[in-house]
Formats: sequence, structure tokens, C-alpha cells
Amino acid sequence: MTADGMTTRELLGEADLLLTTVVPGTRGRWPRACAWLIRLALEQTLDVYWARVLPQAAECGMRPQLLLLPAYAGKDIAEQAREAWMGLARATHHHVYELAPTAAELRSWHQAVTQLDADLACGQQLD
Amino acid sequence: MAASLGKGGSVEELILERLDHSGLPADVADLVVASLLGDDDLADALNPEGPKQPVRQLGAQKASEQPAGTYLQSITVEGFRGIGRESALRLLPGPGLTLVAGRNGSGKSSFAEAAELALTGDDKRWSMPGRGVVWRAGWHNLHTAGNSRIAVALMADGQPGVITVERVWQPSARLEDAAVFVQEPGKSRRPLESLGWARPLELYRPFLSYSELGALVAGRPSDMYDALQAILGLDQLIEAERRLADVRMRFDESSKSAARALPTLLEQLRNHPDERARQAEAVLRLRLPDLAAVEALAVGGKADGEGLVGSLQQIASIRLPTAEMVRAAVARMSAIDRKVAELAGTPAADARRVAGLLKTALAHFADHPGQPCPVCGGNMLDETWATGARAVVTRLSKAARDADDAHAELEAATRAVRHLIPAEPGVLSADLGGEIDPAAARDSWQRWATLVDAGTIQQLAADADGVFTSLAAAIGQIRDDAARVVERRMDAWRPVAAALTSWADLARASHRDATTLGHVKKAMSWLRDTGKEVRNARLAPFAEKSARVWEMLRQESNVELGPIRLEGAATQRRVSLDVTVDGVPGAALGVMSQGELHALGLALFLPRATASDSPFRFLVIDDPVQSMDPAKVDGLARLLSEVARDRQVIVFTHDDRLPEALRRLQLPATVWEVVRREHSVVELKKNDDPVTRYLDDARALALTRDLPEQARAVVVAGFCRNALEAASHEVVRARRLAAGARHADVERALGDAHTLHQVFALALFDDAARGDQVSPRLQSKYGQSAAHAFQAAKTGTHETYRGDLVRLVDDAARLAAALRPRLAAR
Repeated sequence: MTADGMTTRELLGEADLLLTTVVPGTRGRWPRACAWLIRLALEQTLDVYWARVLPQAAECGMRPQLLLLPAYAGKDIAEQAREAWMGLARATHHHVYELAPTAAELRSWHQAVTQLDADLACGQQLD
Repeated sequence: MAASLGKGGSVEELILERLDHSGLPADVADLVVASLLGDDDLADALNPEGPKQPVRQLGAQKASEQPAGTYLQSITVEGFRGIGRESALRLLPGPGLTLVAGRNGSGKSSFAEAAELALTGDDKRWSMPGRGVVWRAGWHNLHTAGNSRIAVALMADGQPGVITVERVWQPSARLEDAAVFVQEPGKSRRPLESLGWARPLELYRPFLSYSELGALVAGRPSDMYDALQAILGLDQLIEAERRLADVRMRFDESSKSAARALPTLLEQLRNHPDERARQAEAVLRLRLPDLAAVEALAVGGKADGEGLVGSLQQIASIRLPTAEMVRAAVARMSAIDRKVAELAGTPAADARRVAGLLKTALAHFADHPGQPCPVCGGNMLDETWATGARAVVTRLSKAARDADDAHAELEAATRAVRHLIPAEPGVLSADLGGEIDPAAARDSWQRWATLVDAGTIQQLAADADGVFTSLAAAIGQIRDDAARVVERRMDAWRPVAAALTSWADLARASHRDATTLGHVKKAMSWLRDTGKEVRNARLAPFAEKSARVWEMLRQESNVELGPIRLEGAATQRRVSLDVTVDGVPGAALGVMSQGELHALGLALFLPRATASDSPFRFLVIDDPVQSMDPAKVDGLARLLSEVARDRQVIVFTHDDRLPEALRRLQLPATVWEVVRREHSVVELKKNDDPVTRYLDDARALALTRDLPEQARAVVVAGFCRNALEAASHEVVRARRLAAGARHADVERALGDAHTLHQVFALALFDDAARGDQVSPRLQSKYGQSAAHAFQAAKTGTHETYRGDLVRLVDDAARLAAALRPRLAAR
């Protein structure tokens, strides 16, 4: 699924751009757009990881993937991934009464996913 | 809610009307009127010399004209609180509801706070609990190096031009060190005070923050009481009562001061030796002392000359001739005496006899001329003899007159000496109290008297000087003694006299004050009773409004709000809220939830802020929705929209509940969303309903060339998905709530629908479990493009959507519109 287009790092770069600069046409709507990009970056990071470690896992939904992750990547990394996902999933779904995520929230998810991408890329397979 | 707070006559009118029928004595009624007018008027009314009627007439100074209504046009903030770069919230200056939604920390509250601070300038408010020290220290935005500035632009109804109230701080200034000014186009800057809003801002407070909302009810009971008093115009009544109370205290004090001073005075008298003290004591022990008698005693006791002091004063005023005078008189007497003595036995003395003899002889001659002298029988008494005899008679008669004169002179001179000194004054034998001894004086006087009465001229001449000298010495002595004693007694009496005199004055004043006190008490008691009636008369419309607000907000609450009353007085004053929970009256506010307390706070705030006398036609409410359950939010939405019919209502809110309720209930409102970037860059975006907003976002991003193709595809698909979710939620919510479902249940059902399939199943079939039937139904009912949009929205966030992004947004928009025809029609 990542064969075409942007790498995880590129997605995170675009998200960072939205977060720190005023991109024309995104006035006021950049928070959710940013969330979508970070969310995709997270999905992509896991896809790349599973492709190397457990290809069939990538076919599952995100919930099973997150359940599998502690066994393969360790508890800490899995916890970090789970937290970021929960936040991003909430931010990218329409929830009644909820407004767009804040810059601070986006920044923390961005950092979490960047870290996760680095950790998982190390290929440390813990078992 | 109707905008105006029913007035039912001003407080003054209500009171005057009742005063006319009160039957109070004129003096008391005057006091009531004067107490309403002010301190000076009351002082005049109490002044016995003052004008009998208050000069000013009640109500004369009131021009009960409604102030021009003011609306907010914009709030501009720079470098203040959460806002760095200048950001402006633009508002339509007229009635209507504006929501400003933003997550906590987005900077939305900074606008609310800026508006309040700019107008009130009351930086003390910021130190209240809930805002705290952090606020004071952190008001300056961290991401701003230059000046901080807040500006509120206002427009007055029916008046051209914008009034801008601005507050500017130098980079290192403290919060209270702002430059503040009012600016109108084409006019020079003027101070904030020139607007005359200080009092109205306090009275009608068009600003209400979250923390205050709770404090309105949970705060000190006296604060709420005071706020209500003021808003109802009852502060005038309170002031009047306070004035009378002050006066009463003063008069209570002064009417008792004479009685209070009496024991000290009596003590002073008891210890005083003066007999006047005894008399004064006797007078003062009477129940109603004769004040004139007291004053008479003070100035001198009995009439002059009586009593010991009188005697002493007489002695002190004894006057004697000088020694020279005495000596001269005695010398004159002696000289005349000598002259008389010289005359005695001289021819001049015989002359009288001879002249008499010759006069007799001449008479005889006249009868018997030419006869011999019958005495000697010798010579013939003829004309020659007669001529000679007549000359001798003339000469001898003169000598005799001289002798007579000398005798008379001597007699006069002797009398003069005798009368030089009067008889001994009786006062020397009077009771002189033993302090002076009159013996020597009396003795000397006696000796003088004896000398002048019984002494010969020779004795007088010899002794007068000596006797007088000793008399003068004795009298000089006793006179000095007497004067000293008088002086001493006067010195001792003087303070008592002063005390008596001033006590008499005090007693007169006290008596007068006691009369006035009676009037003041009557005035107070009447005003208090009347105040209760007036208070309730004024409170009634206010309380009705509060009750109505509460009715709208309570929704599913089991708490009922009964009549609001102002109770107690002084430190016990409070607002009594008759709260009934599940029909049980007298419940404490503690049983109410936070949301209920806030609703109650609003119920109390709104009537105040929308009072017709307020020059402010706007209300700024910061986050009233927090801790309200969804049902109350519906009530709030209806309430605010009702208030917004004739007021500009600006509500800041941290989530989408209130906007959602307004959309669902189809209540008109303008919604702004505040988004804050890193570095305190705050952006405002008109926020329509979420479906439209998501689709707008999607469309805007589809056209953005600044994002890479794939990133754009992901985000556009994501926004389309959000739009479809939002549309489905709306459909489900509207359908279920209309069927009578509870808010909480509806929200749970929506929350449980995680996937887009489940959400659509709920929207299409009202059953989240029928996800497998979604695609076929979309295909059959809404067509190929609808099913395609659904599919793209679902997978496009994972896999790059390869189709035309703008077309995708259009398809999603059509599908959303088809899902919610009612809302799309708007």
C-alpha cells in the first residue's frame, strides 16, 4: 500500500509544514488535515514494519495490528503507537461536539509517530 | 425573553406614593424624603436652623431616558493572553447570536477577557479566585515582543460612527499600566471615563465568565444581594436606610450624652467646698433640672452682695481717702481754728458788743436827741456824737462779721474732717467664713470714729494722721485678704461654673436630639417596612424572568426554582432561592449539580444583563456549556436565541455542543471557530454546520497546490469521510430525538458506531448491525456516484485515491445532501 507516493517521513514533513507555517488554502482547516497526514504516516510506518516482520498482519485492521505489536516490537513501542492512534482516530473522525485538535495535540502525535517510525525502522525484533 | 426588566415605577416614585398615604408627621416625612435625596439634604433636614422643606424635590434630577443601546463591532487582540499576532473577532453590531467555538487554549477566551478588560479596566477582577496570580503574571503573550493591545469597537444604536475603546501596553508594562483611551473617527482621543460606563458596567455587567457563573450562586450571599439591590435600583433605598441609620446612631449617642455626663458633674460638685455646689447638686438631682437655674449658679450664685463671696467682694471694694487728703483737711481745720483763736479777745471781738451798744445808743438818740448819755450821764448825745458813733458802728460791724465768718469756716472745716471717712461698713461685722480676720480693721475704724466724734480740734489735729495711717494699713490689709480669698474661690469655682454651663448646653442639645431621634426612628421604621414592599414590587419582574430562564434551562432537572427573595439585612443579607428538589422544598444548593448551578447562575445573570436601563445591548458569556448535560444545552440554545432577538449575544464555547444544538433546533446563529497555531497565531474561521464545513475544507484542499498530490488525496478523502459521518450523525440524531429518545442514549448509539459502515447503517436503517446492506442501498437509492463517494471516503484515507479530487468532493456533497434533505434545504 505504500508502493506509490510519499514515504512516512515525507508525510510527517508535510504535517509539520501545516503545523508550523501558513499553507495557502488551509486557513483554519489545517488541524484536521494535519491529523489525517499524521494518521496516514502512522498506518504507513506499521505497514512497512509488518511487511518486514509479519506480512499477513498488514492485512488486518488497525486494532488487531495494535494488539499484535507488543509481542513483536515490545511493550513501550506498542504503547506509544496505541496512544497516538487513539488520539488520531478520534481527531479524524467526526465526533459530535468536538472541535478540531489543538496544535499541542498534533505536535505530540507528530512526535510520537516520528519516534515510532525511527524505533520500528531499527528492525529490532524482540521475542 | 423580553428585553426590558419591568420597572413598575422608580423606587422614588413608589416610596413617595406610599409616603402620601402614610399619615406620618411632617417632620418624619421630611426626613424620609431627605434621606432619599442624599447626605447633604438629610443634614439640612436635621438642622434646626435649616430650611424646613428639602430644597430639592425627589425625582427632579432624574431624566428617565433610555440610553442609546451599544453593540460590539469587533474585538481586536494583539500580544495578550493566548493571542500573539493581531487577531480580530468581527461581529455584526446588532441583535443576534454569535458563537465563538474553540478548544481550550485556542485563544477564544482571550477575546472575551480582552473585551471585558478593555471596557471595565478592572484589573482587580483578574485576581479573583479561578483567575488567580498566574493570570496576572501571564497576561502578556509570550510570543509577542512588541506592544500588547486590546481594542473593542462599539456602535451605538442610532448614532453614526464607531467608538473604539483601546488599551495598549508597552512591552514590559504591568497589567495595570496600560494606556487607555476612547477614540471616535475625526475626534481626539478621550479618557475611558468620558463614556460614563463605570456604573452601568458594574450594575448590568454584560460579561459573564465560566468561573463567575458558578460564583454567582456559590459566592458570598451578600454579593448576590448587593448586585440585585443595585440592579433593581434599590441601592437608593439602601443608601437612604444607611443614612438614617448613621444619623440615628449619632443622635442616639448625643441624646444620651447629657445624662451620661451627669454623674461626673455631680461628683465634681460633691467634692467642691463652694456653697453654690450644694445648690447646684440640689437642682441637678431633679428629674428635669431647671437649666436656667443651673446657669445662674454657674455665673455667680445668688444676687450681688449676698453670701460670703458678696461680703468679701464688698470688703475688697472698701475705699478710703488718701493720707494727703486727710492731712490737708486736718491742716485746714487747724489753720482756721488758729485764726478764730486769734480773733477771740481782740478789739475785733469787743466790736460786736460795742457796736451793739452804739446801735442801741443811736436808737435812743433818734428818740431823744440832745439828751445826756444815759449810760454815763455825762456828754450830750448830739449830731456830732451821732456821726462819730455811726462810723464806729460801721467799722465794728465789719470786724464782727469777720469773726462770724471765721467761726463758720471752722465749723465747716471740722465737719469736713469728721466726714472724711464714712461710718464703719457693716460688712466688717458680717460672717466672713473665718478665712480673714476683721478685728484690726474694725479696731482702727473704731479709734478713728472715736477721735472724730469726741476729740477736740486740737486732739484731731494732733492724732488724726496717726489714727488714719493705722486705719489705712488695716483696711489695706483686709482688703487684700478679701480680694485674695475671692480670687481663690473664683479660681476654684471657675471650672465648675464652666462645667455647669456646658452641661446645661449639652442638656438642651440632648433634649432637642432626643426629639429628633424619635423622628429618625419613625422615619427608619417606616422606610424599612415600605422598603420591603418596594423591594418585592421591584424584584417581582426580575424574579419572573429568572424563573423563566430556569424553566428553559432545567429541562430534565428535578430541581425547581421558586420565588427569589431578598432577605436579611446588614451582614446577614442574602438572596433567598427557593429551591425544590423532587418536590421537597428548602433543599440546599449543595444538592444541585455543577451544571444546574451554572444554569441557575445564568438565570440570575440574564435578567440583570438585559435590563432595559442598561446602555449595553450586548452580552458576552464565556463557556456557559461546560458541565451542562445535552438536554440543558438544548434549553440554553433556545434561551440564547430568544435573548438574541433583541440583544447581541456572544457566547464563547469550548466544544461543538451548543453549535450542534442550534443547528439541530434550526436556531439562527453565526459560528466562528477559533484555531490557534503554534506560536500563538490565532485564526478565526466562519463555522457553518459541520457537513458544509468539512466539504468546504475538502474542496479547498483539493485545490491547494502547495501540498503534494498524495497528501492532498488523503486529506480530501478524510474530510469527505468526516462530512459523511457528520451528515449521518445529524440524520440519526434528528430522527431519534424527534421520536423521544434521550440525548444520552442517542449519543451512545452514535459513539458505538465506529466504522463508516456502521455509521451509515444507523443513518439508513437506524440499525448499526446492517453494515453489509449499506453499499447496495446507496447504489439503489442514491446512485453510482453516491456509492462511489462512500467507498472513496472509506478507503481513501489509507490508500491513495487516484480519481479527481474535486469530483469526489462534489459526489460526497450530493450524498450528504441526499441524506439530510431537510437540513440541506436551508
